[in-house]
Amino acid sequence: MTSEPTANTLDPGGDPPKRVPVDPALRRRSRAAVARSYVGDRVVAVVVGLLLIAAGVAVVLLSNGVFGVGRAARPVLDPMIVDWMTANPMAARLIAIASGIVLTVLGLVWAARAVRPEPHPDLPVEAGGDTEIVVLASAIGDAVAEQALGLPGVGKARARVVGTTRAPALRVTLWLADDSHVADVLEALQTRVLAPAKEALGLPALPVAVRLELDNPPPPPRVT
Amino acid sequence: MRVLLRLLAPVLGLALAAAGVLLAIEVIVGWTRPGEATGVLVPWPDWKSALEATTWADPAVLGTGFGIAVVGLLLVLLGLFARRSDITVIAPRADMTVTMSPRVLARLVGQRVRRSDDVASAAVTASKGRITVTATGWGDPDGEVGAALRSSVEGTVAALLDDVPLTRRPRVRVRLAELRGPR
Repeated sequence: MTSEPTANTLDPGGDPPKRVPVDPALRRRSRAAVARSYVGDRVVAVVVGLLLIAAGVAVVLLSNGVFGVGRAARPVLDPMIVDWMTANPMAARLIAIASGIVLTVLGLVWAARAVRPEPHPDLPVEAGGDTEIVVLASAIGDAVAEQALGLPGVGKARARVVGTTRAPALRVTLWLADDSHVADVLEALQTRVLAPAKEALGLPALPVAVRLELDNPPPPPRVT
Repeated sequence: MRVLLRLLAPVLGLALAAAGVLLAIEVIVGWTRPGEATGVLVPWPDWKSALEATTWADPAVLGTGFGIAVVGLLLVLLGLFARRSDITVIAPRADMTVTMSPRVLARLVGQRVRRSDDVASAAVTASKGRITVTATGWGDPDGEVGAALRSSVEGTVAALLDDVPLTRRPRVRVRLAELRGPR
């Protein structure tokens, strides 16, 4: 994948490629719309995993007497710590309660983020005066999907608005028929579906992520 | 991997939250009712005496340390490998991203390859960098027939890759197998 902010052309030979400068932010948004991002979950998993590895290795080293044989011979719940806790009961309690609350909040935030459904923002349309018109995300998705279904070579289509209200993007899934030509379908999608949709919604830019699937072929004829 | 991460994330989060709640509750109850000999939900006085009796050199402690490290390693691997394996197709515009899963590419290739009359059956695996086609035909795979079949399959896949412009053209590997018996 090139990071060059220019348009790719489908024509492999012939004319030299047209160089149309495109805002890199639009490229980024269209790439982000491909699928819901799990980057947050992945980063948390890696960080927690690294912490666990560090803790486990530290315990193993300590247990093997790397930090001194006398250190290894001490109890796991060290008398020094117990003495400190009996000497400062208030501080020990407050530290324990605070860490309990911090753990609870972190855990709940992580779980809530993980189970939260992906947002599909409704988009406002330019209207005069005090009127405010909002197009529902489902309406946009259904309209685009229906239009895309009319394209030759498309057997099934689905569209969703993703991203945020300020930076929306479209995720279109096309189930291609057997004999369809991918490049032609994409070109038709751009000119006959996406360009009109962008105009109708009055959006200056609408990045798109297209997912290609294969339509299930009709069952072969039974010949006896 | 991605499904596992999706399932594991809320479970781990809730487990963390539950541990935090337990810790806070036990401390508060122990504070407000000092005479109590046992905990509310967890028997922490027993745990305390057990931990005071075991030393760091205890084999159980060593085993626990290994266990923690292994679980951490699994989590790191899960996080690293839960990435998408999408194959990107060259889009007509730069604000459009076109992707397909490796499975779809493999099905596309398989459909094309099986259309040939010389191919009895075909198995295809695809990834970002490589397409492997195992085509079964009639006749000796190492002989002249095999060479013709190989070049025809290679040509079919090359033609498909011209039709479906991928941002990174995968290498194509063709393996041949022989189907014995009448054609």
